Amino acid sequence: MDMLLRRAVAALLTLSGLLTLGYIGISSYIAEELVYEAPKAIVKAPASLGLRFANVSFPSRHDQIRLKGWLIPGVLSDGRLTVDRTIVVVHGTRTNREDPAAHLLELTAALARNGFGVLSFDMRGMGESPAAPLSMGNLEQRDVLGAVDFLRSGRLPFPELGRPRIIGGLGVSMGAASLLMAAAGEPGIQAVVSDSAYAEIVPILEREIAKRRVAPIGRIPGVLAPSALVMAQLLYGVDFFAARPVATVANIAPRPLLLIHGTADDYVPINNFRALNAAATSVPSAHVTTWIVPNARHAQAFKKTGAEYVTRVTAFFDAALGGDRSAVGAAA
Amino acid sequence: MNALRPLQPLVGLIALATLLIVLVIAVRAISANAGFLVERQTVFLSFLGGLLVVSAVFAWIVRRSMRRADSTSSRLLLVATALALASPLTLMLLQHPAP
Repeated sequence: MDMLLRRAVAALLTLSGLLTLGYIGISSYIAEELVYEAPKAIVKAPASLGLRFANVSFPSRHDQIRLKGWLIPGVLSDGRLTVDRTIVVVHGTRTNREDPAAHLLELTAALARNGFGVLSFDMRGMGESPAAPLSMGNLEQRDVLGAVDFLRSGRLPFPELGRPRIIGGLGVSMGAASLLMAAAGEPGIQAVVSDSAYAEIVPILEREIAKRRVAPIGRIPGVLAPSALVMAQLLYGVDFFAARPVATVANIAPRPLLLIHGTADDYVPINNFRALNAAATSVPSAHVTTWIVPNARHAQAFKKTGAEYVTRVTAFFDAALGGDRSAVGAAA
Repeated sequence: MNALRPLQPLVGLIALATLLIVLVIAVRAISANAGFLVERQTVFLSFLGGLLVVSAVFAWIVRRSMRRADSTSSRLLLVATALALASPLTLMLLQHPAP
């Protein structure tokens, strides 16, 4: 009896030890995969769409990561260039400032042709910006804040155009989430367009992790997802749990906010839009406009609606930021 | 002192887990200047290496304790250690039952 009990205890210890070892080991592997993906190269530049631009580089706020981007002056109806109203354009995850899937460069160009200066940049770890952990907005909001600092006090190209009088922001997917979190604490961002933002990233990551496959074990059991997120925090300091625009979006008020979402978005389901809208409008001073795009998939609203998207967004920025007040400018 | 001996595996588990976390934080701080790509690999490999070393040390502690476990209370403490060891996985399974 004594020997039997001893063996049972030994078996229990061995089993729990091996299971926990495997559990932690695989979770840390998933975490390692989750926090980084090789950057995608930029193929097209604004010049390919007939726009003048300059390559720029500026540090993120707080952690000083050197980000790369384009400053594209807006083109006024008389052909003059301007940066009087400049929009910070923020791309989504695992892409870059060109983002061919979302047609982001084309959208950027459309904003510029409608008289808005555009600062479009690669967030940390993506495009031409240096390698850095992917945190789904929690750290990336510092990049958006760095862009605002750059427009306010950095050494801008096109010195003849002066400095932006007023700054707005447009973000897509993770870019929208990062922008929402940045704008909540930065009053310098005077108007925000958020396209396909999530309310919080953890439920989406948990769902997506369970879809992944790892070579020796095949499809990853969903039970590993929460621990992978914890391991990402432990190993790399990436706090996915803090990527929650829904917690701070109300702080954007009274500044105008335009929320856009597609009804066919299966990556960031439309309940995220509803949660963000509810949170944003929970304060009396809220100034929120919404646009639900029928049958648009994730981050495809511009691709699907084209001119209508540009008309709505530029009308929103015109109302929120006022007209262009630049007195002089260079000819395009 | 002998009365505390059955607690060795449990205390050892907590101490080793703490040590592993401290190791990871130190490696992260040291490798951070080399850029994130280096940091990512270094931290991951250090953690996996540390995990294996910690497992071996823990197995040795448990084996020693098993040999000395001659009372019911000391065996119960070993069972408690096994439960503590399995608790992260158990908690996750309880929160995410199989479909």
